[in-house]
Amino acid sequence: MSEVLDEIRKDYLFNLVRKGRRIDGRAFKDFRELRVKTNVISKAEGSAWVELGQTEVLVGVKLQPGEPYPDTPDKGVMITNAELVPLASPTFEPGPPDENGIELARVVDRGIRESGAIDLEKLCIEEGEKVWIIFIDVHVLNHDGNLMDASALGAIASLMTAKIPCERYGLGDDEPLPVRDSPVSVTAVDIAGEILIDPNLYEESAASCRLTVISNADGSISAMQKGGIGGLSPEKTKDAVKMCVESAKEIRDKVLRGLKPT
Amino acid sequence: MSSEIKLIREDGRRLDGRLPDELRPIKIEVGVLKRADGSCYFELGKNKVIAAVYGPRELHPRHAQDARRAVVRFRYNMAPFSVEERRRPGPDRRSVEISKVSREALEPVIITEYYPRAAIDIFVEVLESDAGTRTAGINAASVALADAGIPMKGLVSAVAVGKIDGQIVLDLTSEEDQHGEMDMPVAMVTRTNTITLLQMDGRVTMEEFEKALDLAVAGCRRIYELQRKALIEKYSESRTEEIP
Amino acid sequence: MYKIVVPGDFLSTDIRRAGEGTYVENGKVYALRYGILDDKDEIRVVPLSGRYIPKRGDVVIGRVEDIMYPYWVFDIASPYKGLLHVSEFPAKVEYGTMDRFLRIDDLAIVKVVNVDPMMRVELKLVEEFRPPLHGGRLIEVPHTKIPRIIGRNGSMIKILKEEGRCFIFVAKNGRIWIRGNERNVDLVAEIIMKIAEKAHTSGLTDRVTQYLRAARGGKNVVRNKAH
Repeated sequence: MSEVLDEIRKDYLFNLVRKGRRIDGRAFKDFRELRVKTNVISKAEGSAWVELGQTEVLVGVKLQPGEPYPDTPDKGVMITNAELVPLASPTFEPGPPDENGIELARVVDRGIRESGAIDLEKLCIEEGEKVWIIFIDVHVLNHDGNLMDASALGAIASLMTAKIPCERYGLGDDEPLPVRDSPVSVTAVDIAGEILIDPNLYEESAASCRLTVISNADGSISAMQKGGIGGLSPEKTKDAVKMCVESAKEIRDKVLRGLKPT
Repeated sequence: MSSEIKLIREDGRRLDGRLPDELRPIKIEVGVLKRADGSCYFELGKNKVIAAVYGPRELHPRHAQDARRAVVRFRYNMAPFSVEERRRPGPDRRSVEISKVSREALEPVIITEYYPRAAIDIFVEVLESDAGTRTAGINAASVALADAGIPMKGLVSAVAVGKIDGQIVLDLTSEEDQHGEMDMPVAMVTRTNTITLLQMDGRVTMEEFEKALDLAVAGCRRIYELQRKALIEKYSESRTEEIP
Repeated sequence: MYKIVVPGDFLSTDIRRAGEGTYVENGKVYALRYGILDDKDEIRVVPLSGRYIPKRGDVVIGRVEDIMYPYWVFDIASPYKGLLHVSEFPAKVEYGTMDRFLRIDDLAIVKVVNVDPMMRVELKLVEEFRPPLHGGRLIEVPHTKIPRIIGRNGSMIKILKEEGRCFIFVAKNGRIWIRGNERNVDLVAEIIMKIAEKAHTSGLTDRVTQYLRAARGGKNVVRNKAH
């Protein structure tokens, strides 16, 4: 997800980081200012508008009855998609999702799926015939770095506030979506040998590598993804993962606590 | 995702008889494709993959060129018959993601600056799959890159670790992956002690993750030795035919 | 005996001797390529494979691939094209008449005079060889095998020329131009391809001499199987 950054600017960033500073004055472990507004799209069963500094992502969740997968006849289905629409960045192009969009969607999906946050068994309407299908659609509106965390946060916030539209399909009263965990994605980058949390676009472009860690309320980890053409030593990887899990706790307390359908 | 099936036997061994920290049998052959600049056939248990490297070669279209370095491209592809149920040919979302992370696992060792405006193309074909194809593909590709004469800081070695029946184990089979609690593919450059691929899904504690990472690092080191040996053997005197 | 190394192999702590095919990190010399270790004076790794990358001073055989005034664009068996400017030609070449001098697919022996950081390759003609090359046969081997075809101090190429009774021009980019009578050209081409295949074995020169003599002796007439 990096964009071409000229060497001069890269040098500047590196020098800054070596002095223990960041371009926008944050500490290495700090997130940018974070705002999450839920229920912003009334046509969607759940939605969240996430602002992470200048990065803006809108996530919508839709539910509709459909057929289960043959190997899980008693479970609901979850499908995640991400669109990097051209309005969000001069480097995004119209057309089917490229590898960045696909990676984004798959990592967001994995975090939620593997945490077991959604009790898919409760989404079975008629075994082998009809189950609820959850569509999570990530719409990136402004790309100023760290789309991964903003999108994952938007997804879980949308799900936590989503209702199952039973009434619309003649299946009784609407119910809240059974959400039992709150996975939070935190991304770190390595710049000049330092680990920085929540990179903005410049930092992301200058970084040699990126590590996304999605962790749950009990501190367990449910997904990880390294990106970028660099690497980390095993020791540094462990440090970065710890920082990410710590950071996730703060984010969870700050923006997810108490979220429920209205 | 707890398992109904016991994956570790009473004697502490896994269903295929391996110990928790044991790899499946590995077979490596270097230079198996005549047309490619470099190639490698890699077997990991029942996984069979083949990697080819073409390049550095001219990159078209021109606007895709980078004036400062070579562009590395990676294509992971599964043969339709490589899995239980026939796979529809062509790229799907999974293979697009695997291609991306695999490229990012290998690119850190390639000296791309030597070849401005050119392309280095890496193709991995999965002929048979039994969990661990992306790591097998990276192992094969790394050897194929060396075989193609591409300047590299070191070889990249990869293996997956996982959690089954509550235990951290090395190199999951498809059965273990399916019924297990966690899967974590890792690639590393042994020479520089750098992790260049890390993915994980499942649910583990921080302690379990750290243990898993250590086990993966140990596994990568063993695979590295086998990759190195295969490359050296390609040119061993004993294997060379007489002239003419 | 030779020693094969792979990328990342530790070679030495004597970083002053680090040569081609190696890199230095934290006071240590490592192999950058898969190849044969040459640890005589400099520490070098001689690659066993890889495409030809033009270097200033290399003499190569090029094939005209395109004509774009004022350049002939040469394929030089490399990821990069070579450019020959009209002014390099020993005649006045007007716009629109370039193909009277060198046409698409013509071969020429050219010298690399400059390679810029973006790998734009400038060529000039080699005086002794008026382009295009006429007659003879062009064969192509991996450029990494060229040193072996030349041999130590030119020993191999000398044998090939004398015993094979052909004119042979060996270019850096793996292209070899052979001229002589048909039978001799066949024989030399075949033996060169064989050398290319076994370039990493030792004692080759002796075996090549024996082979050529046997073939010339008529007992063991070799038919041209290749190409």
